[in-house]
Amino acid sequence: MKKLAKIAALLLMVSAAPAAATDDQGARDFIAELGDRTIEILRQPDLDAEQSVAQFQDVFREGFDVPTVARFVLGRYWNVATPEQQQEYLQLFEQMVLETYARRFVEYSGETFTVTGTRPAGDSDVMVESRIVRPDGPPVNVSWRVREREEGFQIIDVVVEGVSMSVTQRNEFASVIQRNGGEVEALLQAMRNQIANARAG
Amino acid sequence: MSLNRIDAIRPQPGTAGRVKGMAAALIALSLAACASTGQMAESPAEDMNDPLEPINRVIFSVNDAVDTVILTPIATTYKFVTPDPIENNVTNFLRNLRSPVIIANQLLQGDWHGAEVAATRFFLNSTVGLGGIVDIAAYNKLYFEPEGFGQTLAVWGVGEGPYLVLPLLGPSNPRDAAGLAVDILSDPVWMVSTEAQNWGRSAAEVIDVRARTLDVTEDMKRNSLDYYATVRSAYRQLRAARIRDGAADAATQIPEIPDYSTAEMPEIPDYEPESEPESGPAPGS
Repeated sequence: MKKLAKIAALLLMVSAAPAAATDDQGARDFIAELGDRTIEILRQPDLDAEQSVAQFQDVFREGFDVPTVARFVLGRYWNVATPEQQQEYLQLFEQMVLETYARRFVEYSGETFTVTGTRPAGDSDVMVESRIVRPDGPPVNVSWRVREREEGFQIIDVVVEGVSMSVTQRNEFASVIQRNGGEVEALLQAMRNQIANARAG
Repeated sequence: MSLNRIDAIRPQPGTAGRVKGMAAALIALSLAACASTGQMAESPAEDMNDPLEPINRVIFSVNDAVDTVILTPIATTYKFVTPDPIENNVTNFLRNLRSPVIIANQLLQGDWHGAEVAATRFFLNSTVGLGGIVDIAAYNKLYFEPEGFGQTLAVWGVGEGPYLVLPLLGPSNPRDAAGLAVDILSDPVWMVSTEAQNWGRSAAEVIDVRARTLDVTEDMKRNSLDYYATVRSAYRQLRAARIRDGAADAATQIPEIPDYSTAEMPEIPDYEPESEPESGPAPGS
């Protein structure tokens, strides 16, 4: 009987293990490496702004899961958008995020980036915690939500001091659509304007 | 909302497809039904809970105007003129003055460890920290944790209530506004100070906080499609994080992000920085 109980316990343990959980150390290394690569780009003295942004864009596209984030941010409105709208939305979303991060990127001036730990997030993601020390201000805690896929790791959310960027944007986009009678088109127009303004200024 | 949205969502053959098609049609219909009021039947996690949105937006714009014209220039000048260590000293000093209220609320919330940390901070920083201007306690890993009666009410189970934008004070809700009032009225430092000292302290706190949040708010404003909605969402999340003392997880911080099947997603063509989006307006128009 005892032996049977032991075997049963063992079987339970094995079957209770989460399937395809994201690997902690792998996620940690992934974020650290992204940070290093980004800082490397910034450190190159003879790259002009455009080239830096282009290089940053490569790193960004690799490391950030734009389709998943975009789809999450649009929420239920994805299903009421036409396929053309969906396609345009994804394009605009990626452009918008790039513009946003490219501008923040250009304002970089000597911050240091340290990965401080990991913890589980959701069913199988990992929250990699980091600290950014700025020369002129208190350190900022930034958490990167990482999901592991066959192709590798990717970021699917950024949480700053407890505020999730994906959730914030999701609420914001929902607000824009609702204030315009539920029209996804209104959101797309706002996104186009935002991108145009970003490029102009 | 035009009904040709429903055309785009065609039922697939088979039972699963019929259910999917029906569900999609239902969503589209309910959207159409709600379109006139602009209100949505929301899942709890996404409920904006902002029944006063029109007036909130008005107050928000007024606050923003006052901020742009008066407060931001002052905070910017303060930041420019003051060396960083001195700015930190001011922050530390002001935070130290809030210690009695923080300790009291930690106790009211039953957070004995938090109360102990806050009390130790108060003692260390007031003495070794030269009257609070140096945050000695932080060197010993005893970090500042903001607490107030609004958070205490939350811990006691009081719901936040609808989103409110208060004149000059900014984003809030009934619970947190009441909490703020209690914090001020119950503050021993407030009680033993002269009126001039209290006004001076309030002004200093406002400028201190504004200076510390200048770049964050500028970044948010610049990158927002709807600044009001962004602030509302960020404020709520920030409060929720403070209430659970920064502990991991809550439905908002770890939202359910599904694994969308890549087969359903259209390809994103390569980003061309030089070209204009085809259907967009010319910049500046």
